[in-house]
Amino acid sequence: MSVLSVEHISKSYRTVRALRDVTFRVPRGSVFGILGPNGSGKTTLLGIVTGVLNADAGSFTMFGDTLTPAHELRKRTGTLLETPNFYHYLSAYDNLVITSEIKGKGRDGIDEILRKVGLHERRDSKFSTFSLGMKQRLGIAAALLGDAELLILDEPTNGLDPEGIAEIRSLIKELGAAGHTIVMASHLLDEVEKVCTHVAILKKGELLAAGSADEIMTEGDIVELSAADTDSLYDLLCRHFPGQKLTRDGETVRLYFPGGGTDTAALNELCHSQGIVLTRLLLRRQSLESMFLELVSNPTNGR
Amino acid sequence: MLRLLKIEWLKVRRYRAFILLSAIFAVSMVGLNYIVYIQVGRLGDMTAQYGGPEGAGLGGMLLGHPFAFPKVWQTVTYLSSFLLFIPGLVIILLTANEYGFKTHRQAVIDGLSRRQFMGTKIGVVLVTSLCITLIAVVTASVFASAGSPGFTLAGARYIGYFFIQAVSYMSVALVLVLFFKRSGIAIGVYFLYVFIIKNLLALLLNYKVYDGLGNYLPVKSADLLIPAPTSLGRMFTFNNPDTTAMLIASIVWIAVLLWYCTYRFEKSDL
Repeated sequence: MSVLSVEHISKSYRTVRALRDVTFRVPRGSVFGILGPNGSGKTTLLGIVTGVLNADAGSFTMFGDTLTPAHELRKRTGTLLETPNFYHYLSAYDNLVITSEIKGKGRDGIDEILRKVGLHERRDSKFSTFSLGMKQRLGIAAALLGDAELLILDEPTNGLDPEGIAEIRSLIKELGAAGHTIVMASHLLDEVEKVCTHVAILKKGELLAAGSADEIMTEGDIVELSAADTDSLYDLLCRHFPGQKLTRDGETVRLYFPGGGTDTAALNELCHSQGIVLTRLLLRRQSLESMFLELVSNPTNGR
Repeated sequence: MLRLLKIEWLKVRRYRAFILLSAIFAVSMVGLNYIVYIQVGRLGDMTAQYGGPEGAGLGGMLLGHPFAFPKVWQTVTYLSSFLLFIPGLVIILLTANEYGFKTHRQAVIDGLSRRQFMGTKIGVVLVTSLCITLIAVVTASVFASAGSPGFTLAGARYIGYFFIQAVSYMSVALVLVLFFKRSGIAIGVYFLYVFIIKNLLALLLNYKVYDGLGNYLPVKSADLLIPAPTSLGRMFTFNNPDTTAMLIASIVWIAVLLWYCTYRFEKSDL
């Protein structure tokens, strides 16, 4: 059952098309990453799903429930959208009290959550005295209140130092393992790669791809080869693997295997049998970053 | 709703500006009434000095026993209404804070519907108006009981009018802050309206367009529900608007303004 199902959502701001017919499903228990460059519509999408913005067209369903009013369903979620929003003149603790009251949850878990995000010592300090990182942590704390089934985090590591980023990463993994569903918008591709089980990629309001991380990230393997005679190597591979993407970068030749399952031993044997001595043979899974950059750049280049 | 109002209380009870302004308002209300009370007393003493006990009665009659039952209801509500811009100011400050901190967004995200959020703000207006009216009732009771015993609720309709007037002032404030979202400009336009434009426009409409038309302006109609209580004061008002018409106009304006607030908040992107 999908925790969140988005159907054909479109939204424009006057002349700017922010979202264009976006459809995808977030499976229960997944850590779902939403990737895209700036301006791709990630925050707009999350804004619509959290009731902040109104879509021009399309709809979405939370927890598969079309009867309960949206705002009641939102009480089962925890969200950090764009920036942490709190009352500057109230303390961290008081701010979380207000959040928990709105959600209709008790105040019991507040101290525990403040400890978890490392803010317990500053629980009585006014929000206005917090650094950027601390504000971000409080935002995450608010999202964690009440043991939300669905967490929606917009750039959760924004403003955090490397230690903080690592903490958030392990927190997300922990939450995912505990059965929470997490939707995470991010620019930090290697973070997403380490943590997400599913991915959706947006560019200029359009959904380029959506699915499990394995499906999308194994766009294939890349084999990097070098030989003394680069030209012969290149020609051989061109002849032997017609239709497959082959690039040449100085002394390195890259051969792409969409779908993976590359047999490097066979490759080695092939080159050897043709009298080409390889000086380098490296198999690497295509990283999310390179695939992302590829998908996001002009599609007529590169392929 | 009670739960939501409790949340509003949690927001403001630690907000120093709110506590200060509320205290200032309460003190001003009692203080203003007290000033006039003393002055009336002095005037009574002066006429007594020159005219004997009958003189005191004369001075009193000229001013119409303003702080005695039942006239005290009208007097205290009339005087206090000059301060009703302060609660409007507070409403603007509190709501502009929500926009500034973007907590209006967060409240909706966390599980309030648009209607609940705006409904709570309207609830705050109503509860605040009740409290203000209560202060007026207590003030009037205390002043009147000190002078002449004999508590009576005759003339207590002015208490109801005062409540409507308070709601009117705060409703206009709410509409303005929703429109401008920033406290500075909302306060500026608010003060401009309640002090200058409302009165200027009413005068112009009454004397240039059609007599009595200007009385139907928002807040103006509520103001006219409680005319100046003394015959002295009445000498300076030139029209006597029909109370029923003013009552209907005031309530209609409140309904329109508050409906607009709800509608606008429900439809807009936050």
